[in-house]
Amino acid sequence: MFKMFLFSLKNLFSKPATLPEGTEKPKQYRGLIKYYEETCIYCKKCEMVCPPGAIIFTYPEDGSKRLIFHYNPYLCIYCGECVRACPKPGTLVQVEDTAPPATAQDKPNDLWFEVEKEAVESKKIWQEARRKKRNK
Amino acid sequence: MGKKFVVPFGSQHIAIPEPIRFIFTTENEIIKSVSVDFGYVHRGIEKACMTRYKYTQVPYVVARVCGLCAVSQATAYCMAIESLMDIEIPERAKYLRIIVHEMDRIHSHLFAIAHLSEAAGYENLFMRVMRDREFVMECLEILTGNRIQADYSTIGGVNRDLTKEVYEILKPRLDELERRLYELKEIFERDYTLQKKWKGIGVITLEMAQKYNAVGPVARASGLATDCRVEFEYLPYKELDYKMVLYQEGDVWARNMVRLDETLVSIRVLKNAIDNLPEGDIKVKVKGNPKGEALIRWEAPRGELLYYVKGNGKSVLERLRIKTPTFSVIPVMKELYYNQPYAFVPDITISFDPCLSCSAR
Repeated sequence: MFKMFLFSLKNLFSKPATLPEGTEKPKQYRGLIKYYEETCIYCKKCEMVCPPGAIIFTYPEDGSKRLIFHYNPYLCIYCGECVRACPKPGTLVQVEDTAPPATAQDKPNDLWFEVEKEAVESKKIWQEARRKKRNK
Repeated sequence: MGKKFVVPFGSQHIAIPEPIRFIFTTENEIIKSVSVDFGYVHRGIEKACMTRYKYTQVPYVVARVCGLCAVSQATAYCMAIESLMDIEIPERAKYLRIIVHEMDRIHSHLFAIAHLSEAAGYENLFMRVMRDREFVMECLEILTGNRIQADYSTIGGVNRDLTKEVYEILKPRLDELERRLYELKEIFERDYTLQKKWKGIGVITLEMAQKYNAVGPVARASGLATDCRVEFEYLPYKELDYKMVLYQEGDVWARNMVRLDETLVSIRVLKNAIDNLPEGDIKVKVKGNPKGEALIRWEAPRGELLYYVKGNGKSVLERLRIKTPTFSVIPVMKELYYNQPYAFVPDITISFDPCLSCSAR
């Protein structure tokens, strides 16, 4: 008890144990995913492995093979499964930043639900466009 | 015969941050009957794992069952699937799993110890323990990339390697943590207030522990030798000089000391594992879908964790059943309250280190 009393007295004059705001995160901290389209082969492996479903590809209307990548930083759990599944290293990169807190103006849910719907609908249109192209 | 009073404890109470409800009927402050109710935070994780997620995604889902023992949940599930699909994981991955698992145990136990000292009214000690816990949290952060949700185990191995730079950061931190833990042990052994507050209170006898099937530190504090790390050889604990901690008293003090001693054992295992890490791969590739049944008993920080997995050759599991340690100790906890003064309730409850979100899944 006496020892703890001395410890408390010492604490009155020592530095706080908490880290100040803005302290740098340790290296290789798991954070957001960055996407580089140049090397992507649109295999959709990342979309298939993502546990929360934070990656969705939508299809262009003209039937071209370049799919559109959508990523929801608020849904992502930073597990890095997509980075490990990617067959082209460098397409998906995990950075150390985390997502800023979402506000009501951002409408994170509503916008994402639209993307989810669009992914289903655009696929049908895309398939039709592909069929027409082939028939020509 | 005094007048009967009904005293509710929970579902929101200052002693426990998690929702559990006890209704005590007291007579002259002595508890005569108890009813327990929990499950306020049911999230349907089992159902989600059986309908929505592929079996390779499930480790990340079951890790969200519990915050403090996230690593144990994911590791137990991965081991269940590996035994089902006959996957032999590399030796290095086994060692890395032990390292992260023991770090998880240390921070969970230190949290329980801190919480118990806070319930005893010893705020000063609470802050000291939490401050020392920060060491192991930083170690976890460096090794896995996150403080709580490690997402480390995956089917077929682990996700990250322990590189030389990480080793050089970890080693001095673990030495410092060990020194601090020995200091803490000295305080807990000698402190006059805590001895008065905890010794001889809430005694679980060996017969009681056997009858009500206590698990984990609660059982080991009563002299019941049950530890899945010794009973099963999923991971090579024997090579790393692991020894079970046993106390005979069975009171609140003994439960606290078991946890404290286990952190010291964990540190020893950790250091051995880090120094003798075998070379090789950290992961093997997994193909195919699970078919058949598997049952795994695994030692989480709070006790025995049970995973039952059933697959039918599809990518989504047919059945996943999780039995968490807190669920197993609730019967003995309930039995313990009879004929105790109401004032002992917070200490007894928290000495079990209850994790109700786990039990509700």
